[in-house]
Amino acid sequence: MSKFTSNLWSDLVQEHGAALAHADRPEPGRARRPRILAGSTLALAGVGAALALVLTSTSGTPASAAVTVAKTSNGSLLVTLNRPGAWQLIQAGQKLAAMGLNEQIAVNMGSGPATVSGPVTCTPAPGIPNQPTVEVLVGTNGTEVINPGTTPGNTGVGTFHMNSCTLYVPSATGTGNTGNTGNSGTG
Amino acid sequence: MTTEARALVRTMRERPVAERARPPSLPLEEFEQVYLRNVDVIMGYFARRCRDPQTVADLTSETFVRAVEGFAGFDPRRGSDRAWLFGIAARVFARHCEQSAGGRDAVARLAGRRPLDEDEIEELAGRIDAEREGAALMRRCARLPEVERAAIELVDLAEFTPMEAALALGVSRVAFRKRLSRARSRLRKEHQGNE
Repeated sequence: MSKFTSNLWSDLVQEHGAALAHADRPEPGRARRPRILAGSTLALAGVGAALALVLTSTSGTPASAAVTVAKTSNGSLLVTLNRPGAWQLIQAGQKLAAMGLNEQIAVNMGSGPATVSGPVTCTPAPGIPNQPTVEVLVGTNGTEVINPGTTPGNTGVGTFHMNSCTLYVPSATGTGNTGNTGNSGTG
Repeated sequence: MTTEARALVRTMRERPVAERARPPSLPLEEFEQVYLRNVDVIMGYFARRCRDPQTVADLTSETFVRAVEGFAGFDPRRGSDRAWLFGIAARVFARHCEQSAGGRDAVARLAGRRPLDEDEIEELAGRIDAEREGAALMRRCARLPEVERAAIELVDLAEFTPMEAALALGVSRVAFRKRLSRARSRLRKEHQGNE
């Protein structure tokens, strides 16, 4: 995808992600799927030449969600994603909102395994309270592996890690790339 | 582009493609797949018609904004997503032509119209160049009946299957094949006549 098409996608999701999340789509051979329960906003923010996933939402997640949010013993919130796709981030936003945290999460992914195992601590954008601390863990140790044979045509196969994540409010788009670098969070 | 930017673009461009053949579970993912499958051909459609990168960008953007707005009503059982998007693109372009003739901004409704940066202008200018032959072919088709011109563009330039193109144009497959064949034959004769 070119820079233009990446940026266009980011703009579309930022402006219309919420409407799409609510769209009631027909499916071939099946009844219409139930609506997502409540409002959500998905944004893909362009940050310089980069893109980051940013989103927030308020409720309702499928039972099969591979996203968990848990309070750790030190009071921080640990978000675990089996894969950091758009819907997983929506689910994470929904779960954070249910816990009273209405900021959005932006993630920045890179190729290769994580250099340090464990979650990445999200950096609040300017103006966002520093508490509670939010950490995001990809997979079980910070590295996501897409194995051969798990995707059609083996496209997208590889190893990936999170470079950074950021918390920010919906109106502050474009601030989603200020997170820390590498898996420098708790191990 | 920085390493970080490349990595981010990778997440946009490789991961969704990897998931393309998997049945999408949500409208957002479904639309993402529609976008990935078609953004390039829609951009090509406008690049064959406009020489200004910003206009190509605006019209491509406008097409997908309308597609997002109408996605709830799009039923894949009634035709391919590409045919559906081409229908939208054709209407967007027709409106652009009408409004350009009237001196108005054809894409004024696109909220927050974003000026392109230099990289994007370069990319789109490259795309317009790449479509030069296609644009020339379309000019040669100018004298063909509308449906024959559309048949040539959809199959020979936009990579529709004949069945998809027939659906997009609302004609039977048999009728479409006849029109396509007739259009190609006319172009060949015209080309030979010019030599």
